[in-house]
Amino acid sequence: MVKTRRVWYPFFLLVRHPVAIVLVGLVVLFSLLYPQRFLTTLNLTTILKQFVTLVLFALGPSMVVVTGSLDLSYVGIWMLGGVLVWLLTPVLGLFAICVFPLLGLGTGFLVGVVHARGKVPSFILTLCLLVVYWGLTAALSGGYSRTVKGYEFITASLVPYIPTAFLWSLPLIGAAIYLMVRTRVGLYLYAIGSNEEGAKLAGIPVEKYKILAFTLSGLFTGLGTIVLFQHLGGSVPVELNLKNVVWPLVAIVLGGTPLVGGSGGPQRTLLGALTFSVFYRGLYLSLLHPEILQLLVGILLIVSIVVGARGLRGVEIT
Amino acid sequence: MRRNDTPVLEVRNVSKTFDTVVRALDEVSIAVYRGEIVGVVGENGAGKSTLMKILVGVYAPDRGILLLGGKEVPFPRNPKEAAQRGISIVYQERGVIPHLRVYQFLFLGHEEQYRGPWGLQSERMKREARDILDEFHVVCDVESFMYELPLATQKMVEIARAVLGVRLESRGKDVAPVIILDEPTAPLTLEERRELFQNILRMKETCSFIFVSHIIPEVMEFVDRVYVLRDGKLVAHYDLAQDAVTEEDLFRAIVGRESLAYTFEARKKTVSSEVILRVEGLTKRGCYYDVSFELCRGECLGLFGPAGSGKSEVLRTIAGILGFDGGKLVIKGQEAFSGEPPHVRLERGVGYCSGEAGKELFFHWSIAKNISIVNLKKVLGKFFPVIRFGVERSIAEGVMGKLEIKAPGVHAECYSLSGGNKQKVSVGKWLERSPDILLLEDPTIGIDVGAREDIYEVLLEMKQKGISFILVSDDPKEYALLCDRVLVMRGGRVQRTVSAEELQEVAVG
Repeated sequence: MVKTRRVWYPFFLLVRHPVAIVLVGLVVLFSLLYPQRFLTTLNLTTILKQFVTLVLFALGPSMVVVTGSLDLSYVGIWMLGGVLVWLLTPVLGLFAICVFPLLGLGTGFLVGVVHARGKVPSFILTLCLLVVYWGLTAALSGGYSRTVKGYEFITASLVPYIPTAFLWSLPLIGAAIYLMVRTRVGLYLYAIGSNEEGAKLAGIPVEKYKILAFTLSGLFTGLGTIVLFQHLGGSVPVELNLKNVVWPLVAIVLGGTPLVGGSGGPQRTLLGALTFSVFYRGLYLSLLHPEILQLLVGILLIVSIVVGARGLRGVEIT
Repeated sequence: MRRNDTPVLEVRNVSKTFDTVVRALDEVSIAVYRGEIVGVVGENGAGKSTLMKILVGVYAPDRGILLLGGKEVPFPRNPKEAAQRGISIVYQERGVIPHLRVYQFLFLGHEEQYRGPWGLQSERMKREARDILDEFHVVCDVESFMYELPLATQKMVEIARAVLGVRLESRGKDVAPVIILDEPTAPLTLEERRELFQNILRMKETCSFIFVSHIIPEVMEFVDRVYVLRDGKLVAHYDLAQDAVTEEDLFRAIVGRESLAYTFEARKKTVSSEVILRVEGLTKRGCYYDVSFELCRGECLGLFGPAGSGKSEVLRTIAGILGFDGGKLVIKGQEAFSGEPPHVRLERGVGYCSGEAGKELFFHWSIAKNISIVNLKKVLGKFFPVIRFGVERSIAEGVMGKLEIKAPGVHAECYSLSGGNKQKVSVGKWLERSPDILLLEDPTIGIDVGAREDIYEVLLEMKQKGISFILVSDDPKEYALLCDRVLVMRGGRVQRTVSAEELQEVAVG
């Protein structure tokens, strides 16, 4: 029958989260390659900054990916939200920043309803929405990047060397992981991603929880973009930068949430974002051409999707 | 003795009509007593599923009454209400959620009773999960993932979950659980079935079961009483302990006609002396070793053995799906090599047909296209190779007529067909192609007896035309009906060769 295997817990963690091996490997590799430059406070702070950007974008969508769908609207929420803040700050003052979570919530709910009720594939739906938001951003801003002053306090330095944005992201990360690991909502999202029909048969209102997944994703993205808005310079670009869309996706998949859903989640995304930040920073320190970096990032995404799809079936716990 | 008790569950004169035309159920009455297993058998479309769905509250009946413990109660309106009254169901497939841990799956949908101040009380859930699994003698770790468990254990966990659902929903009230098992053995191998049955028999003291199936030997062996449905009507009711019922009686009641499977003269001698396939010392490390046999034109050879005996792997090697490490494979006098893809083997005259749903059908294609895919030589024009729709249509119509495939027409998409009809399309496409050797892997798995008969008839007809078969199946009866010779395999080696009639005795005894 089934043998109960007790494995040394850290080892178990490594097998279940193989990306941790990659992370440790990369840190060792880069420390050896660039002994003068890699393990410096400046470099580590930069890595943390990059990590914050990735994780705040990827946190919400990783909940959607767990259900087997995809939410690409995060960059759209950030861009359109930024312009709305610029428009509304003269009217509402600093309260204008509340536009972000409200926009996120609304977007997520809308996407969820159209996706679940209208049976529209979430990938194409959110991709189109992203383009719509991009267009709206350009139209509302008049085609120029608009800087908004007055929110600098959000990222004002509190602890030396540690970016304040990182501190802000901690409660969000904690809430997301708690939600997915300890609550009924999280359990149901995993169930839907693993076997939607089975979840239906088990009496889970699948449609409702799918809408909830997108709404949560939007809400977490909205809350995250409050921090990101200032973290990324207090203004938003009017041109869509594809790397902002792709990198968080890399973080999710690299962390070990397969795009077909059922396993993974925000806790994995955390690991994926950290690994990706280290990977990118290490390459950045090398003399490689920036275009080559993009190429390597693309390859990394493909490799992690392949590994994620095959799972760890090859790895035996002995 | 049982007759004097009040049944825990009884329905009287239940009728259900869909779209005002199809009478899915017509005045059906069944009763379930405490601690017994009641079989409900019938072909696909006989009304079994409709009846079960009424019992668990998915459908509302047009007419009829429900009595629980002798008291009349309204029919449940949803599965939750059904569970509160003691009725729960284990679905045939797709009920398991692979990425949940066992304890999470057991309590899925009942979490409201396990909510604590800090989220779900997982420690309490694990503890109670262990208790219930112990109670039902299910051996597994509550923290493993569902996909890590063997299929039979998964089924047991599902059954435990159904009982648990009744207990949790009917909190405080004393209800006798009635668990509906909807074809629980469909994905299991022979040994796994045995194990499952033993476990269920042990649970009989605490609950009653309604066992929905179309596998007759299984029903005969396993249930106390059996109700037979045909075209929405209750046509027979047997008490297997008292009435002398044979498998044949049951078959006749289900299908409404004489069975081919029980008239052995249907199998005429068709074997010629021409050797068409020779296998010498074929070995694939880790799967099977030193397998040798010869297959003659018009012969049907069976490979019989438990799961893991290597029978499927041998078949797939001949089909070109797997390679081999050693030995020789000679097809029609020419040696075939390891690593040849299936289409090359098909050119050599070897076709492969699997009954596993969805394995070889293109679900979104029409029936005609699915048949054309292996008959392209006939369908394409001689001088100008384009698909000739007329030919395609006439071939498909021929196959549909011969196998009595029930569909609106040749252009019906395959996903809209019932399981039996899908399988008929799978097998039927080879009818026109007529390969020299057809490899059959579970050709009738999971389909009802009527559809089986139609497929057997066509296979026997093909055999008479000189086509050879190699059969791998889980059903000894199938070997008895189709095969001339059977190789018994175990642990990757051929143990002995027996005639089909002998095999039946081996399997039964």
